[in-house]
Amino acid sequence: MTEPTVVATHLTLNYRKTPALADVSFAVGRGIVGLLGPNGAGKSTLLRIIATATSSYGGDLRMLGRDPRNAQDRLEIRRRLGYLPQEPGFHPRFTAFEFIDYVAILKEMTDRVRRHAEVRRVLTAVGLADQQGKRIKALSGGMRQRVALAASLLGDPEILILDEPTVGLDPEQRLRFRELIADLGENRTVVLSTHQTEDVAMLCQSVVVLHQGQIHFEGSSPQLAALADGRVWSDSVKDPRAVAAWRSADGSYRNLGMPPDGAPTLPPTIEDGYLMLVQPTAGAAVAA
Amino acid sequence: MSTEWHATQDEILRYVRQELPFPQVWSVDAHLGSCARCRAVLAGATDAAPARRGWERLEDELHAPQPGRVERALGRAGMSEHTARLLMATRTLSRPWLLSAAVMLLLTVLVAQASESSSMPLLFLAVAPLLPLLGVAFSFGPGVDPTYELTLVAPISTFRLLLLRTAAVTATTTALSLVATVAVPGAGLVAIGWLLPSLALITLSLVLMSRLDSVVAAAVPALLWVGVLVFSAALPGDAPVPFTTIGQIVTAAAAVAAGLSLSLIRGRFESHRPSSFTPHVTTRRLS
Repeated sequence: MTEPTVVATHLTLNYRKTPALADVSFAVGRGIVGLLGPNGAGKSTLLRIIATATSSYGGDLRMLGRDPRNAQDRLEIRRRLGYLPQEPGFHPRFTAFEFIDYVAILKEMTDRVRRHAEVRRVLTAVGLADQQGKRIKALSGGMRQRVALAASLLGDPEILILDEPTVGLDPEQRLRFRELIADLGENRTVVLSTHQTEDVAMLCQSVVVLHQGQIHFEGSSPQLAALADGRVWSDSVKDPRAVAAWRSADGSYRNLGMPPDGAPTLPPTIEDGYLMLVQPTAGAAVAA
Repeated sequence: MSTEWHATQDEILRYVRQELPFPQVWSVDAHLGSCARCRAVLAGATDAAPARRGWERLEDELHAPQPGRVERALGRAGMSEHTARLLMATRTLSRPWLLSAAVMLLLTVLVAQASESSSMPLLFLAVAPLLPLLGVAFSFGPGVDPTYELTLVAPISTFRLLLLRTAAVTATTTALSLVATVAVPGAGLVAIGWLLPSLALITLSLVLMSRLDSVVAAAVPALLWVGVLVFSAALPGDAPVPFTTIGQIVTAAAAVAAGLSLSLIRGRFESHRPSSFTPHVTTRRLS
């Protein structure tokens, strides 16, 4: 791994006395790290902390070697950070260009000519150069998501935080998004939150699985898949011993758990490994 | 496409050094957009950085969307273009919002005109300070500004942005209220008795916004204002206390005190802003 750009140590955050994050520690460097977990796992909470949207957390966080709790450090981090929130808001009266121009001003770009050049650059990067004059309210959901991504790319940030960027996109749009994010991860740190294992499998050099506010796994995609080694088997029926089972394309059941004696096992996928971690009864199967 | 004239070498050099005065620069801008020969001169005349800068400016003149009428008007009034763009994102400066405020004021004026005791237009005086307060409450904060989450993590000073929007909303709604004041019959100077309370209420709400949601932060002084009016209406005297000389002095002192407090706590706006984000927590309670 390259020099860590984000180092979290024992992060905790309580929401009305209920822990939303509990003792979360990890370090990420350049490349794309996938934050995987079910709804309510604490992904967005963690990303908001990293994005400096809140400083009400316990533990320690260092980003680009700086402490977000320190006012001067926080300002410097914000200048080098891009953030796509889970539910990006828009001013519907603005056009795509005007909206990104507005965000660029929030990012302290006050020189009109340079700012407009940057707005055109990010709009081109997300494939919306031809739509720059359209009002936000006239754009499709996928296009709006691309506008939000374009806004996060302003200033070529060293750390890019993307919270569920592919939610609500159709398969083709999702593919385009993945290509774009893969390119972005070449020379910066991208922290990508998702509950879609395909996103992680296709994009991420490393994976963190967050479940119930705690880190349950940190490693590579193959290592996550390997958690289900010898735990996946195929059968014509749903095996009651399986912790999870679903019908695959050929009509047979893909069972996950402790296989019966003699059952031929299948090569595991990242989804199998992930389910082994987050299914309520899967922990026992892993331990067995 | 050929053109009848060409920019001189000197003009192009001064153009890339940004030394060309207006409106000459616009002529050269427009000309470069249509003349390949002058563009070639431009490319060869200078070193890369200033030339690129010139190209960017030309590109911007040719392709950037033109700002709207209000933005242009603000620019002509001396406001920087980026400040004007920041204000355009203020919901409570939108036409529907201002129209609602104007209708509200018109109604209070009509009530004052219809009232027999028009020497003290109480409804108007009670409502006039609340309109700017309402405008400020809905101009910035979680749940009312769709890009609030982005603003939270942007390097721009939250406090500065809040003050900017507050000033714009206050100026606009105050102007509307002043126009309405003229239409209030026979109240004399009493009719502008709402100005100081308005200032005090807004400043107090800004102080509270350092910790509270903006709507809640405005609701507290608004309720306080209504409470004071109701209480003072029960007291003997021609006018409710806030509109007497003593009341105005006390209100001014409260506004100054709130302003000083705001100045002291302005750093809080950069780190501990309230948020509309509610985590969907499924975490187990840890033993």
